[in-house]
Amino acid sequence: MSQDDRYKEIIKREMAKLKKPVKLKVFTSQRVQPDGTKIRACMDCGQFMVLLRVYEENSNGMLTIEELSIDDNPEFAKRYDITRVPTILFIDNNGREIIRYLAAPKGGEIQPFIQTIFTFAGMPNYYETTIRQNLDRIPPSTIKIMMTETCPYCPQVIAISNSFAIASEGKIRTVVIDIMANPDIGQYYDAAGVPYTIINDQKTLVGMVGPNEILKALIGGNIRVQY
Amino acid sequence: MFNIDMESIDLEKIYDLIVLGGGPAAIGCAIYAARFAMDVLVVGKTFGGLIATTHIVENYPAITSISGQGLMDMFKDHMDSLNIPYISDAIRSIDKVDDHFELHSFFQKFKAYSICISTGTERRKLGVPGEEEFAGRGVSYCATCDGPFFKDKIVCVIGGSDSAAKEALFLAQNTKKVYIIYRGEEIRAEPINKKRVYENDKIEIIYKTKIVEIKGDNTVKSVIFDNGKEFDIDGVFIEIGSTPNSDVAKSIGVETNVKGEIKINRKSETNIPGIFAAGDVADAPFKQAITGVSEGVIAAYSAFDYVKEMNIEY
Repeated sequence: MSQDDRYKEIIKREMAKLKKPVKLKVFTSQRVQPDGTKIRACMDCGQFMVLLRVYEENSNGMLTIEELSIDDNPEFAKRYDITRVPTILFIDNNGREIIRYLAAPKGGEIQPFIQTIFTFAGMPNYYETTIRQNLDRIPPSTIKIMMTETCPYCPQVIAISNSFAIASEGKIRTVVIDIMANPDIGQYYDAAGVPYTIINDQKTLVGMVGPNEILKALIGGNIRVQY
Repeated sequence: MFNIDMESIDLEKIYDLIVLGGGPAAIGCAIYAARFAMDVLVVGKTFGGLIATTHIVENYPAITSISGQGLMDMFKDHMDSLNIPYISDAIRSIDKVDDHFELHSFFQKFKAYSICISTGTERRKLGVPGEEEFAGRGVSYCATCDGPFFKDKIVCVIGGSDSAAKEALFLAQNTKKVYIIYRGEEIRAEPINKKRVYENDKIEIIYKTKIVEIKGDNTVKSVIFDNGKEFDIDGVFIEIGSTPNSDVAKSIGVETNVKGEIKINRKSETNIPGIFAAGDVADAPFKQAITGVSEGVIAAYSAFDYVKEMNIEY
Protein backbone atom coordinates (compact mmCIF):
# COMPACT_ATOMS: atom_id res chain seq x y z
CA MET A 1 0.00 0.00 0.00
CA SER A 2 1.41 3.40 -0.93
CA GLN A 3 1.77 6.09 1.71
CA ASP A 4 -1.07 8.08 0.07
CA ASP A 5 -3.37 5.04 0.12
CA ARG A 6 -2.44 4.44 3.75
CA TYR A 7 -3.36 8.02 4.66
CA LYS A 8 -6.66 7.72 2.79
CA GLU A 9 -7.40 4.56 4.75
CA ILE A 10 -6.75 6.40 8.02
CA ILE A 11 -9.01 9.29 7.02
CA LYS A 12 -11.72 6.86 5.96
CA ARG A 13 -11.53 4.81 9.14
CA GLU A 14 -11.40 7.75 11.54
CA MET A 15 -13.90 10.07 9.85
CA ALA A 16 -16.48 7.30 9.87
CA LYS A 17 -16.50 7.65 13.67
CA LEU A 18 -17.72 11.27 13.54
CA LYS A 19 -21.18 11.33 15.10
CA LYS A 20 -21.95 15.04 15.22
CA PRO A 21 -22.18 17.57 12.39
CA VAL A 22 -19.32 19.96 11.73
CA LYS A 23 -19.11 22.71 9.14
CA LEU A 24 -15.85 24.20 7.95
CA LYS A 25 -15.29 27.12 5.64
CA VAL A 26 -12.47 27.06 3.12
CA PHE A 27 -11.43 30.12 1.22
CA THR A 28 -10.03 29.60 -2.25
CA SER A 29 -9.81 31.70 -5.37
CA GLN A 30 -12.51 29.98 -7.36
CA ARG A 31 -13.77 32.13 -10.22
CA VAL A 32 -16.68 31.73 -12.62
CA GLN A 33 -15.66 31.91 -16.26
CA PRO A 34 -17.85 33.61 -18.90
CA ASP A 35 -19.00 30.16 -20.04
CA GLY A 36 -20.19 29.35 -16.53
CA THR A 37 -17.40 26.97 -15.62
CA LYS A 38 -15.38 27.51 -12.46
CA ILE A 39 -11.62 27.60 -12.17
CA ARG A 40 -9.32 28.20 -9.24
CA ALA A 41 -6.60 30.78 -9.78
CA CYS A 42 -4.60 29.56 -6.80
CA MET A 43 -2.25 26.75 -7.80
CA ASP A 44 -2.57 24.78 -4.54
CA CYS A 45 -6.31 25.20 -4.10
CA GLY A 46 -7.39 22.38 -6.42
CA GLN A 47 -5.33 19.71 -4.68
CA PHE A 48 -6.25 21.17 -1.34
CA MET A 49 -9.96 20.84 -2.05
CA VAL A 50 -9.53 17.28 -3.37
CA LEU A 51 -7.90 16.40 -0.06
CA LEU A 52 -10.64 18.04 2.01
CA ARG A 53 -13.33 16.27 0.01
CA VAL A 54 -11.77 12.95 1.12
CA TYR A 55 -12.51 13.96 4.71
CA GLU A 56 -16.01 15.09 3.79
CA GLU A 57 -16.94 12.08 1.68
CA ASN A 58 -15.93 9.64 4.41
CA SER A 59 -17.77 11.35 7.24
CA ASN A 60 -21.23 9.83 6.69
CA GLY A 61 -22.52 13.31 5.92
CA MET A 62 -21.34 14.71 9.25
CA LEU A 63 -18.66 17.02 7.85
CA THR A 64 -19.58 19.78 5.46
CA ILE A 65 -16.86 21.72 3.68
CA GLU A 66 -18.08 25.01 2.29
CA GLU A 67 -15.78 26.41 -0.36
CA LEU A 68 -15.91 30.17 -0.60
CA SER A 69 -14.13 32.29 -3.12
CA ILE A 70 -12.48 35.46 -1.89
CA ASP A 71 -13.67 37.10 -5.10
CA ASP A 72 -17.30 36.15 -4.64
CA ASN A 73 -17.36 36.83 -0.90
CA PRO A 74 -15.26 39.96 -0.40
CA GLU A 75 -17.16 41.13 2.68
CA PHE A 76 -16.89 37.79 4.41
CA ALA A 77 -13.22 37.59 3.46
CA LYS A 78 -12.69 41.05 4.85
CA ARG A 79 -14.54 40.24 8.05
CA TYR A 80 -12.26 37.27 8.71
CA ASP A 81 -9.16 38.99 7.34
CA ILE A 82 -8.49 36.39 4.67
CA THR A 83 -5.26 37.48 3.04
CA ARG A 84 -4.10 34.20 1.48
CA VAL A 85 -5.65 31.11 -0.02
CA PRO A 86 -6.32 28.37 0.68
CA THR A 87 -7.41 29.07 4.26
CA ILE A 88 -9.55 26.78 6.42
CA LEU A 89 -11.62 28.36 9.18
CA PHE A 90 -13.27 26.74 12.18
CA ILE A 91 -15.98 29.24 13.14
CA ASP A 92 -18.12 28.68 16.24
CA ASN A 93 -21.87 29.21 16.58
CA ASN A 94 -21.28 32.81 17.64
CA GLY A 95 -19.40 33.57 14.45
CA ARG A 96 -16.04 33.63 16.21
CA GLU A 97 -13.02 32.27 14.43
CA ILE A 98 -11.49 29.59 16.66
CA ILE A 99 -8.94 27.94 14.41
CA ARG A 100 -7.32 28.94 11.13
CA TYR A 101 -5.31 26.57 8.94
CA LEU A 102 -2.78 27.93 6.49
CA ALA A 103 -1.67 24.37 5.98
CA ALA A 104 -2.91 21.26 4.23
CA PRO A 105 -4.07 18.52 6.61
CA LYS A 106 -2.04 15.75 5.02
CA GLY A 107 0.66 13.31 6.18
CA GLY A 108 1.37 13.69 9.85
CA GLU A 109 -1.15 16.52 10.07
CA ILE A 110 -4.11 14.22 9.44
CA GLN A 111 -4.27 13.10 13.06
CA PRO A 112 -4.46 16.55 14.73
CA PHE A 113 -6.87 17.76 12.05
CA ILE A 114 -9.29 14.88 12.64
CA GLN A 115 -8.89 15.23 16.40
CA THR A 116 -9.71 18.94 16.04
CA ILE A 117 -12.81 18.19 13.95
CA PHE A 118 -14.04 15.75 16.60
CA THR A 119 -13.38 18.12 19.49
CA PHE A 120 -14.98 20.99 17.57
CA ALA A 121 -18.02 18.75 17.05
CA GLY A 122 -18.39 18.55 20.82
CA MET A 123 -16.61 15.33 21.66
CA PRO A 124 -14.99 15.30 25.12
CA ASN A 125 -11.99 17.60 25.34
CA TYR A 126 -9.30 16.36 27.71
CA TYR A 127 -7.98 19.86 28.47
CA GLU A 128 -11.37 21.56 28.88
CA THR A 129 -11.67 21.49 32.67
CA THR A 130 -8.28 23.03 33.31
CA ILE A 131 -8.67 25.61 30.54
CA ARG A 132 -12.04 26.69 31.99
CA GLN A 133 -10.59 26.85 35.51
CA ASN A 134 -7.85 29.17 34.30
CA LEU A 135 -9.88 31.13 31.76
CA ASP A 136 -10.08 34.29 33.90
CA ARG A 137 -6.28 34.44 33.90
CA ILE A 138 -5.84 34.00 30.16
CA PRO A 139 -5.96 37.21 28.09
CA PRO A 140 -7.52 37.06 24.61
CA SER A 141 -4.81 35.13 22.82
CA THR A 142 -3.62 33.95 19.46
CA ILE A 143 -1.35 30.92 19.25
CA LYS A 144 0.53 30.70 15.97
CA ILE A 145 2.12 27.34 15.28
CA MET A 146 4.68 27.11 12.52
CA MET A 147 4.96 23.58 11.18
CA THR A 148 6.33 21.53 8.34
CA GLU A 149 5.09 18.27 6.88
CA THR A 150 8.18 16.38 8.03
CA CYS A 151 8.20 17.58 11.63
CA PRO A 152 7.28 14.68 13.96
CA TYR A 153 6.47 16.93 16.92
CA CYS A 154 4.24 19.44 15.13
CA PRO A 155 1.05 17.34 15.10
CA GLN A 156 1.07 17.10 18.88
CA VAL A 157 1.56 20.81 19.50
CA ILE A 158 -1.20 21.56 16.97
CA ALA A 159 -3.64 19.08 18.53
CA ILE A 160 -3.07 20.51 22.01
CA SER A 161 -3.33 24.15 20.93
CA ASN A 162 -6.49 23.52 18.91
CA SER A 163 -8.07 21.73 21.87
CA PHE A 164 -7.21 24.72 24.06
CA ALA A 165 -8.86 27.07 21.57
CA ILE A 166 -12.02 25.00 21.38
CA ALA A 167 -12.26 24.84 25.19
CA SER A 168 -11.66 28.56 25.65
CA GLU A 169 -15.06 29.91 24.62
CA GLY A 170 -13.51 32.17 22.01
CA LYS A 171 -10.72 33.52 24.16
CA ILE A 172 -7.95 31.60 22.45
CA ARG A 173 -7.50 31.35 18.70
CA THR A 174 -4.95 29.20 16.93
CA VAL A 175 -3.37 29.68 13.55
CA VAL A 176 -1.62 26.68 12.01
CA ILE A 177 0.96 27.75 9.44
CA ASP A 178 2.84 25.51 7.04
CA ILE A 179 6.07 27.42 7.00
CA MET A 180 7.19 25.89 3.69
CA ALA A 181 3.97 26.92 1.94
CA ASN A 182 4.10 30.35 3.61
CA PRO A 183 7.83 31.16 3.77
CA ASP A 184 7.19 34.88 4.17
CA ILE A 185 5.55 34.26 7.55
CA GLY A 186 8.49 32.15 8.66
CA GLN A 187 10.90 34.85 7.56
CA TYR A 188 8.89 37.52 9.34
CA TYR A 189 9.37 35.64 12.60
CA ASP A 190 12.92 34.46 11.74
CA ALA A 191 11.73 30.90 12.30
CA ALA A 192 14.18 28.25 11.14
CA GLY A 193 12.92 25.44 13.34
CA VAL A 194 9.65 23.72 14.03
CA PRO A 195 7.40 23.44 15.87
CA TYR A 196 7.77 27.16 16.50
CA THR A 197 4.94 28.40 18.65
CA ILE A 198 4.26 32.09 19.12
CA ILE A 199 1.88 33.36 21.78
CA ASN A 200 0.36 36.77 21.05
CA ASP A 201 3.37 37.69 18.91
CA GLN A 202 5.37 38.03 22.12
CA LYS A 203 6.45 34.72 23.62
CA THR A 204 8.08 32.03 21.54
CA LEU A 205 8.19 28.35 22.41
CA VAL A 206 10.69 26.42 20.33
CA GLY A 207 10.52 22.68 19.72
CA MET A 208 8.19 20.16 21.29
CA VAL A 209 6.23 21.66 24.15
CA GLY A 210 3.66 19.96 26.31
CA PRO A 211 0.20 21.25 27.22
CA ASN A 212 1.39 22.57 30.58
CA GLU A 213 4.10 24.67 28.93
CA ILE A 214 1.66 26.19 26.44
CA LEU A 215 -0.88 26.94 29.16
CA LYS A 216 1.75 28.51 31.40
CA ALA A 217 2.83 30.73 28.52
CA LEU A 218 -0.79 31.77 27.93
CA ILE A 219 -1.38 32.55 31.60
CA GLY A 220 2.02 34.08 32.21
CA GLY A 221 2.17 32.24 35.53
CA ASN A 222 1.43 29.00 37.26
CA ILE A 223 -1.51 26.80 36.33
CA ARG A 224 -4.43 26.60 38.75
CA VAL A 225 -5.14 22.92 39.25
CA GLN A 226 -8.39 21.58 40.70
CA TYR A 227 -9.21 18.00 39.86
CA MET B 1 -3.83 7.31 14.40
CA PHE B 2 -4.31 7.82 18.11
CA ASN B 3 -7.38 6.53 19.77
CA ILE B 4 -9.11 9.89 19.55
CA ASP B 5 -12.34 8.79 21.16
CA MET B 6 -12.00 10.51 24.53
CA GLU B 7 -15.18 8.79 25.63
CA SER B 8 -13.17 5.57 25.86
CA ILE B 9 -10.92 7.08 28.52
CA ASP B 10 -12.25 6.67 32.04
CA LEU B 11 -10.54 9.10 34.36
CA GLU B 12 -12.25 7.69 37.43
CA LYS B 13 -11.24 4.07 37.20
CA ILE B 14 -8.08 2.49 38.53
CA TYR B 15 -6.14 1.25 35.52
CA ASP B 16 -4.17 -1.96 35.80
CA LEU B 17 -1.24 -0.23 34.17
CA ILE B 18 -0.47 3.31 33.14
CA VAL B 19 2.48 3.66 30.81
CA LEU B 20 4.30 6.98 30.84
CA GLY B 21 5.95 7.94 27.57
CA GLY B 22 5.34 7.70 23.85
CA GLY B 23 8.37 5.98 22.39
CA PRO B 24 9.01 2.36 21.38
CA ALA B 25 9.51 1.15 24.97
CA ALA B 26 6.23 2.70 26.12
CA ILE B 27 4.19 1.48 23.18
CA GLY B 28 5.78 -1.98 23.27
CA CYS B 29 4.80 -2.21 26.92
CA ALA B 30 1.23 -1.03 26.24
CA ILE B 31 0.72 -3.49 23.37
CA TYR B 32 1.77 -6.44 25.51
CA ALA B 33 -0.29 -5.23 28.45
CA ALA B 34 -3.37 -4.97 26.24
CA ARG B 35 -2.76 -8.50 25.01
CA PHE B 36 -2.57 -9.62 28.64
CA ALA B 37 -6.12 -8.15 28.89
CA MET B 38 -4.95 -5.44 31.25
CA ASP B 39 -6.73 -2.08 31.40
CA VAL B 40 -3.94 0.07 30.06
CA LEU B 41 -3.60 3.79 29.38
CA VAL B 42 -0.64 5.58 27.83
CA VAL B 43 0.17 9.14 28.90
CA GLY B 44 2.99 10.73 26.96
CA LYS B 45 4.31 14.18 26.27
CA THR B 46 5.69 13.21 22.88
CA PHE B 47 4.30 10.39 20.80
CA GLY B 48 7.09 8.72 18.90
CA GLY B 49 9.89 9.55 21.28
CA LEU B 50 13.38 10.32 20.14
CA ILE B 51 13.38 7.77 17.34
CA ALA B 52 10.62 9.66 15.51
CA THR B 53 13.22 12.30 14.76
CA THR B 54 15.61 9.80 13.18
CA HIS B 55 15.45 10.10 9.41
CA ILE B 56 16.34 6.48 8.75
CA VAL B 57 16.26 3.33 10.90
CA GLU B 58 18.12 0.35 9.49
CA ASN B 59 18.65 -1.79 12.58
CA TYR B 60 15.13 -2.69 13.66
CA PRO B 61 14.93 -6.43 12.92
CA ALA B 62 12.57 -7.46 10.14
CA ILE B 63 12.41 -3.94 8.75
CA THR B 64 15.29 -3.31 6.40
CA SER B 65 14.93 0.43 6.21
CA ILE B 66 12.30 2.90 7.40
CA SER B 67 12.10 6.45 8.68
CA GLY B 68 11.82 6.86 12.44
CA GLN B 69 8.44 8.51 11.95
CA GLY B 70 7.33 5.66 9.69
CA LEU B 71 8.32 3.11 12.31
CA MET B 72 6.37 4.94 14.99
CA ASP B 73 3.36 5.20 12.66
CA MET B 74 3.42 1.40 12.59
CA PHE B 75 3.59 1.32 16.40
CA LYS B 76 0.63 3.71 16.43
CA ASP B 77 -1.39 1.51 14.08
CA HIS B 78 -0.67 -1.54 16.23
CA MET B 79 -1.68 0.33 19.35
CA ASP B 80 -4.84 1.55 17.69
CA SER B 81 -5.77 -1.97 16.57
CA LEU B 82 -5.89 -2.91 20.24
CA ASN B 83 -7.89 0.21 21.20
CA ILE B 84 -5.22 1.43 23.58
CA PRO B 85 -6.00 5.00 24.60
CA TYR B 86 -3.28 7.64 24.44
CA ILE B 87 -3.32 11.04 26.15
CA SER B 88 -0.91 13.84 25.32
CA ASP B 89 0.13 15.06 28.75
CA ALA B 90 3.02 14.92 31.17
CA ILE B 91 2.80 13.46 34.67
CA ARG B 92 4.51 15.67 37.25
CA SER B 93 4.18 13.58 40.42
CA ILE B 94 3.14 10.14 41.65
CA ASP B 95 1.79 9.18 45.09
CA LYS B 96 1.04 5.79 46.58
CA VAL B 97 -2.50 5.67 47.96
CA ASP B 98 -3.65 2.42 49.61
CA ASP B 99 -3.17 -0.34 47.03
CA HIS B 100 -2.72 1.90 44.00
CA PHE B 101 -0.85 4.91 42.67
CA GLU B 102 -2.18 8.37 41.89
CA LEU B 103 -0.56 10.19 39.02
CA HIS B 104 -0.90 13.95 38.76
CA SER B 105 -0.57 16.12 35.70
CA PHE B 106 -1.63 19.75 35.35
CA PHE B 107 -4.81 18.56 33.69
CA GLN B 108 -5.98 15.36 35.36
CA LYS B 109 -5.39 12.85 38.09
CA PHE B 110 -5.09 9.18 37.09
CA LYS B 111 -5.11 6.03 39.15
CA ALA B 112 -3.28 2.77 38.46
CA TYR B 113 -2.22 -0.38 40.24
CA SER B 114 1.06 -0.39 38.34
CA ILE B 115 3.13 2.04 36.30
CA CYS B 116 5.76 1.69 33.63
CA ILE B 117 7.97 4.77 33.33
CA SER B 118 9.29 5.08 29.78
CA THR B 119 9.71 8.82 29.63
CA GLY B 120 12.87 8.73 27.56
CA THR B 121 15.41 11.47 27.43
CA GLU B 122 15.83 15.13 26.57
CA ARG B 123 18.49 16.37 24.19
CA ARG B 124 21.47 17.67 26.10
CA LYS B 125 22.20 21.36 25.64
CA LEU B 126 25.60 22.69 24.70
CA GLY B 127 25.41 25.39 27.36
CA VAL B 128 27.18 28.12 25.41
CA PRO B 129 26.21 31.77 24.87
CA GLY B 130 23.83 32.15 21.93
CA GLU B 131 22.40 28.64 22.13
CA GLU B 132 19.18 29.65 23.81
CA GLU B 133 18.92 32.99 22.01
CA PHE B 134 19.07 31.35 18.57
CA ALA B 135 17.01 28.23 19.33
CA GLY B 136 14.62 27.84 16.39
CA ARG B 137 16.51 30.56 14.53
CA GLY B 138 19.46 28.50 13.42
CA VAL B 139 20.11 26.35 16.48
CA SER B 140 18.35 23.00 16.26
CA TYR B 141 18.18 19.67 18.05
CA CYS B 142 16.27 17.87 15.29
CA ALA B 143 17.60 17.57 11.74
CA THR B 144 14.43 15.83 10.52
CA CYS B 145 12.32 18.72 11.81
CA ASP B 146 14.48 21.62 10.73
CA GLY B 147 16.70 20.32 7.94
CA PRO B 148 14.42 21.69 5.18
CA PHE B 149 15.15 25.25 6.32
CA PHE B 150 18.81 24.88 5.39
CA LYS B 151 18.60 23.90 1.74
CA ASP B 152 21.82 24.92 -0.02
CA LYS B 153 23.20 26.40 3.19
CA ILE B 154 26.21 25.55 5.32
CA VAL B 155 25.51 23.86 8.63
CA CYS B 156 27.39 22.06 11.36
CA VAL B 157 26.55 19.11 13.56
CA ILE B 158 28.05 19.16 17.03
CA GLY B 159 28.94 15.74 18.40
CA GLY B 160 30.64 12.51 17.41
CA SER B 161 28.05 9.82 18.12
CA ASP B 162 26.22 7.59 15.70
CA SER B 163 23.24 9.95 15.96
CA ALA B 164 25.47 12.89 15.01
CA ALA B 165 26.74 10.98 11.97
CA LYS B 166 23.18 10.14 10.90
CA GLU B 167 22.10 13.75 11.30
CA ALA B 168 25.03 14.86 9.16
CA LEU B 169 24.17 12.31 6.47
CA PHE B 170 20.57 13.47 6.44
CA LEU B 171 21.49 17.13 6.29
CA ALA B 172 24.02 16.51 3.49
CA GLN B 173 21.13 15.56 1.20
CA ASN B 174 19.97 19.15 0.82
CA THR B 175 22.55 21.46 2.30
CA LYS B 176 25.62 22.83 0.57
CA LYS B 177 28.08 21.63 3.20
CA VAL B 178 27.97 19.90 6.59
CA TYR B 179 30.75 20.18 9.15
CA ILE B 180 30.83 17.70 12.00
CA ILE B 181 32.50 19.42 14.92
CA TYR B 182 33.72 16.97 17.49
CA ARG B 183 35.90 17.39 20.54
CA GLY B 184 37.37 13.86 20.23
CA GLU B 185 39.86 12.36 17.85
CA GLU B 186 37.56 10.01 15.93
CA ILE B 187 33.77 9.93 15.60
CA ARG B 188 32.06 7.04 17.43
CA ALA B 189 29.44 6.18 14.79
CA GLU B 190 28.55 2.63 13.84
CA PRO B 191 31.05 1.43 11.22
CA ILE B 192 28.45 1.52 8.43
CA ASN B 193 27.55 5.15 9.15
CA LYS B 194 31.17 6.14 9.73
CA LYS B 195 31.98 4.81 6.26
CA ARG B 196 29.09 6.74 4.75
CA VAL B 197 30.28 9.94 6.42
CA TYR B 198 33.84 9.46 5.20
CA GLU B 199 32.63 8.81 1.66
CA ASN B 200 30.30 11.80 1.53
CA ASP B 201 31.93 14.72 -0.25
CA LYS B 202 29.66 17.24 1.42
CA ILE B 203 30.67 16.24 4.94
CA GLU B 204 33.86 17.40 6.58
CA ILE B 205 34.91 16.57 10.14
CA ILE B 206 36.66 19.08 12.37
CA TYR B 207 38.23 17.13 15.24
CA LYS B 208 39.45 18.18 18.68
CA THR B 209 37.33 21.31 18.58
CA LYS B 210 34.65 22.71 20.85
CA ILE B 211 32.20 25.50 20.23
CA VAL B 212 32.25 28.20 22.87
CA GLU B 213 29.73 30.65 21.41
CA ILE B 214 27.04 30.91 18.76
CA LYS B 215 26.68 34.33 17.13
CA GLY B 216 24.27 36.00 14.74
CA ASP B 217 21.80 38.83 14.27
CA ASN B 218 18.26 37.63 13.68
CA THR B 219 19.52 34.15 12.81
CA VAL B 220 22.76 32.23 13.33
CA LYS B 221 25.71 33.58 11.35
CA SER B 222 28.80 32.01 12.95
CA VAL B 223 30.26 29.97 15.78
CA ILE B 224 33.36 30.60 17.83
CA PHE B 225 35.74 27.67 18.37
CA ASP B 226 37.73 27.09 21.55
CA ASN B 227 40.87 28.14 19.66
CA GLY B 228 39.30 31.56 19.19
CA LYS B 229 38.55 31.15 15.47
CA GLU B 230 35.21 32.47 14.18
CA PHE B 231 33.59 30.12 11.68
CA ASP B 232 30.76 31.25 9.38
CA ILE B 233 27.76 28.94 9.49
CA ASP B 234 24.01 29.13 8.81
CA GLY B 235 22.77 26.40 11.12
CA VAL B 236 23.98 24.56 14.22
CA PHE B 237 22.57 21.09 14.93
CA ILE B 238 23.39 19.95 18.45
CA GLU B 239 23.68 16.20 18.93
CA ILE B 240 25.72 15.68 22.09
CA GLY B 241 23.67 13.03 23.84
CA SER B 242 20.73 13.30 26.16
CA THR B 243 19.66 13.36 29.79
CA PRO B 244 17.02 11.04 31.26
CA ASN B 245 13.53 12.35 32.04
CA SER B 246 13.43 10.75 35.48
CA ASP B 247 12.15 13.59 37.68
CA VAL B 248 8.69 12.04 37.97
CA ALA B 249 10.26 8.74 39.06
CA LYS B 250 12.34 10.51 41.65
CA SER B 251 9.17 12.18 43.00
CA ILE B 252 8.10 8.88 44.50
CA GLY B 253 11.52 7.65 45.49
CA VAL B 254 12.48 5.48 42.52
CA GLU B 255 16.23 4.92 42.65
CA THR B 256 18.38 6.37 39.89
CA ASN B 257 22.10 6.13 39.12
CA VAL B 258 24.54 9.03 38.96
CA LYS B 259 23.40 9.84 35.43
CA GLY B 260 19.79 10.08 36.63
CA GLU B 261 18.79 6.85 34.85
CA ILE B 262 16.27 4.63 36.61
CA LYS B 263 17.81 1.49 38.04
CA ILE B 264 15.99 -1.63 36.80
CA ASN B 265 16.58 -5.35 37.08
CA ARG B 266 16.02 -8.02 34.44
CA LYS B 267 12.27 -7.91 35.14
CA SER B 268 12.26 -4.15 34.45
CA GLU B 269 11.40 -3.66 38.11
CA THR B 270 12.49 -0.56 40.01
CA ASN B 271 13.08 -0.47 43.76
CA ILE B 272 9.37 0.36 44.28
CA PRO B 273 6.95 -2.58 43.89
CA GLY B 274 4.44 -1.84 41.16
CA ILE B 275 6.66 0.67 39.36
CA PHE B 276 8.58 -0.56 36.35
CA ALA B 277 10.78 1.27 33.88
CA ALA B 278 11.95 0.73 30.31
CA GLY B 279 13.76 2.40 27.46
CA ASP B 280 16.22 5.26 27.40
CA VAL B 281 15.22 6.50 30.85
CA ALA B 282 16.40 3.21 32.39
CA ASP B 283 19.98 2.30 33.19
CA ALA B 284 20.63 -0.23 30.42
CA PRO B 285 24.07 0.42 28.88
CA PHE B 286 22.97 0.00 25.24
CA LYS B 287 20.05 2.20 24.25
CA GLN B 288 18.26 1.23 21.07
CA ALA B 289 14.61 1.14 19.99
CA ILE B 290 14.71 -2.63 20.00
CA THR B 291 16.23 -2.89 23.49
CA GLY B 292 13.69 -0.37 24.75
CA VAL B 293 10.86 -2.46 23.32
CA SER B 294 12.34 -5.51 25.02
CA GLU B 295 12.47 -3.78 28.39
CA GLY B 296 8.93 -2.48 27.81
CA VAL B 297 7.40 -5.86 27.07
CA ILE B 298 9.21 -7.38 30.05
CA ALA B 299 7.78 -4.55 32.17
CA ALA B 300 4.29 -5.41 30.89
CA TYR B 301 4.78 -9.04 31.83
CA SER B 302 6.09 -8.10 35.28
CA ALA B 303 3.23 -5.65 35.80
CA PHE B 304 0.78 -8.36 34.77
CA ASP B 305 2.26 -10.67 37.42
CA TYR B 306 2.25 -7.89 39.99
CA VAL B 307 -1.40 -6.96 39.44
CA LYS B 308 -2.45 -10.62 39.24
CA GLU B 309 -0.98 -11.23 42.68
CA MET B 310 -3.10 -8.38 44.00
CA ASN B 311 -6.11 -10.58 43.13
CA ILE B 312 -7.64 -7.93 40.91
CA GLU B 313 -10.13 -9.34 38.44
CA TYR B 314 -9.58 -8.63 34.78
